Amino acid sequence: MIKTRLLNFYLKSPLILASGILGLTASSMKRVIEFGAGAVTSKSFNKDWRTGHKNPSIVPFEHGMLNAVGLSNPGLDEMIKEIQLYKEECDTPIIASIFGRSIEEFGEVTRRTCEAEPDMIEVNISCPNVHSEFGQPFGDSCPDTAKIVQIVKEHAGNIPVAIKLGPHGPGIGVIAKVCEENGADAITAINTVGPGMLIDIDVQRPVLSNLTGGISGPAILPVAVKSVYEVYKNVKIPIIGTGGVTKPSDAIQMILAGSTAIGVGTAVYYEGIEVFRKLNEGIEKYLLEKGYKSIEQIRGAAHE
Amino acid sequence: MKTYPIRKIHEHGPGVKSFYFDKDFEIRAGEFVNVWSPGVDEKPYSVSAVIDDMIEVSVKAYGPFSKDLMIKKIGDRLGLRGSFGHGFTLHDNALLIGGGIGIAPLRILAQELTAKGYRFVNLLGAAVAYEIIFASDFEKAGKTYFTTDDGSKGKKGLVTDDLTEIIENEKIEYIYAAGPEIMFVKVKEIIDPLNIPYEFCMERYMKCGIGICGQCCLDGSGIRLCVEGPVLKKEDIAQITELGMKHRDASGRRV
Ligand SMILES: Cc1cc2nc3c(=O)[nH]c(=O)nc-3n(C[C@H](O)[C@H](O)[C@H](O)COP(=O)(O)OP(=O)(O)OC[C@H]3O[C@@H](n4cnc5c(N)ncnc54)[C@H](O)[C@@H]3O)c2cc1C
Ligand SMILES: Cc1cc2nc3c(=O)[nH]c(=O)nc-3n(C[C@H](O)[C@H](O)[C@H](O)COP(=O)(O)O)c2cc1C
Ligand code: FES
Repeated sequence: MIKTRLLNFYLKSPLILASGILGLTASSMKRVIEFGAGAVTSKSFNKDWRTGHKNPSIVPFEHGMLNAVGLSNPGLDEMIKEIQLYKEECDTPIIASIFGRSIEEFGEVTRRTCEAEPDMIEVNISCPNVHSEFGQPFGDSCPDTAKIVQIVKEHAGNIPVAIKLGPHGPGIGVIAKVCEENGADAITAINTVGPGMLIDIDVQRPVLSNLTGGISGPAILPVAVKSVYEVYKNVKIPIIGTGGVTKPSDAIQMILAGSTAIGVGTAVYYEGIEVFRKLNEGIEKYLLEKGYKSIEQIRGAAHE
Repeated sequence: MKTYPIRKIHEHGPGVKSFYFDKDFEIRAGEFVNVWSPGVDEKPYSVSAVIDDMIEVSVKAYGPFSKDLMIKKIGDRLGLRGSFGHGFTLHDNALLIGGGIGIAPLRILAQELTAKGYRFVNLLGAAVAYEIIFASDFEKAGKTYFTTDDGSKGKKGLVTDDLTEIIENEKIEYIYAAGPEIMFVKVKEIIDPLNIPYEFCMERYMKCGIGICGQCCLDGSGIRLCVEGPVLKKEDIAQITELGMKHRDASGRRV
């Protein structure tokens, strides 16, 4: 497999399980590692548990998936236990994904999350499907983003911090720069796109109980590739390029745009958990055929 | 999402109904569908039979969603997504153990076993007589034992009371069970020492039904019940570290 360095740790594969996919329990995340992921990201969690939106909350369509899970999670205490359990049984890196309803909550959740000693903390400031409750995502505002990065860094000690961005707001390159200037160690790009809506033509109603939801999967690959390209141009910190990666050529595009590691989520629906093995093999084959020894040699190559 | 009008409704007894829809996709015993009631919610239900190009779903009134289904009328449209999951494998000389509404997926299993020409015996239990759905269909298909909590049908007691004797007397070589988790725990305790292979049709809180959200993953192996299950084999059941314990709810907390 292709070894990659991400900040201060090595990944046995550049593929990282994206947040919100099979990331609720230690057992589930361990199983994804067995299929070839180089790291896993937990489901995003905050202080108190949330049941999220009612079903239908996850609906595939022809070119992707629409979801409004609504950041359901069992809360900080339960998730810390699952991360600890994972770490007891598995030495492949784990990224804890956190969020807060207020800037202060981001700080508190970070402080407590450090107890579980995750390899990295990913800060979700870009979920597009909790709008009616949270309002505009924090990640759409430069001042809010700056405050969140500062408070998280203040509480994270020596655990590196990635900020998860969406393609919306004042421009992802601009926001990424704000993150870097305020001390972020990495950028994860992108979260789901939208929100979007699907309507059932027989009952003539939106399909999602939340009416709208974030779009993921193959449909968003071009948005994700462009976002990573934009972020790479603007910052020096590493990027976890995420969004629509389903085939090896998608992953390679992400690397060429500037990704250090690649997030994989919705592809699990199309290809099964085996997608990690297939992507690893495909990336390796590409490097071999083109005569490269590592993905570092092609990272950001599309910019030259 | 595709929606289907309800073609027929059968009331088994107070708060237990079967709904029939046009069969639009292939379905095997043990697989399930996500039933969407627009404006209400969407939840997983086993298909209980395939009859005359219709699929049947049997529901027991329990909480808000299933109670809402009880007031649906013929012609009302419900969304059906599926079929999802992995179902039963078929074996000769089997015992079908069903508890309460868990009898539903065994009905379509009995249909498939009959079609194969396999012999099977049924052991069905519930709180009261009317909750033993499809009783006469099972009796027609094979030898059938009944138990009820109140003795209103068959023997008073639990399906596990005479399980060992039935397995011996009926020369059972394979066991299927579907019902409440506490029943699985007791059945497992009894049949593990007998070295008979078995499959249980299990339940966990499900959201997506398509292996993405992780809500239904089992502690121990991390297996997704909505994709690798809901029917699990003995070897997979052995790896579950939470059998009979608290399950995760919609948030993922154990409650
Ligand atoms: C694979 C599978 C097959 C099923 N087949 C049938 C069937 O054939 N007939 C039938 O009546 N019921 C079946 N169920 C249960 C059904 O999905 C509902 O849970 C049940 O009708 C109660 O829902 P409620 O909203 O009325 O009650 P609630 O009071 O909301 O829930 C009661 C209990 O049901 C469980 N539950 C609730 N929501 C879900 C959910 N989304 N997914 C899984 N469990 C949930 C929880 O343990 C909860 O404590 C099946 C469940 C699964 C997972
Ligand atoms: C069902 C589902 C749930 C998600 N939950 C989260 C979440 O809790 N936190 C988060 O940061 N991103 C979440 N995401 C976004 C993904 O992590 C990812 O950024 C996005 O789906 C694009 O990648 P993909 O096309 O590979 O899925 C979720 C996505 C899906 C499909
Ligand atoms: S219900 Fe979502 S993974 Fe099984």
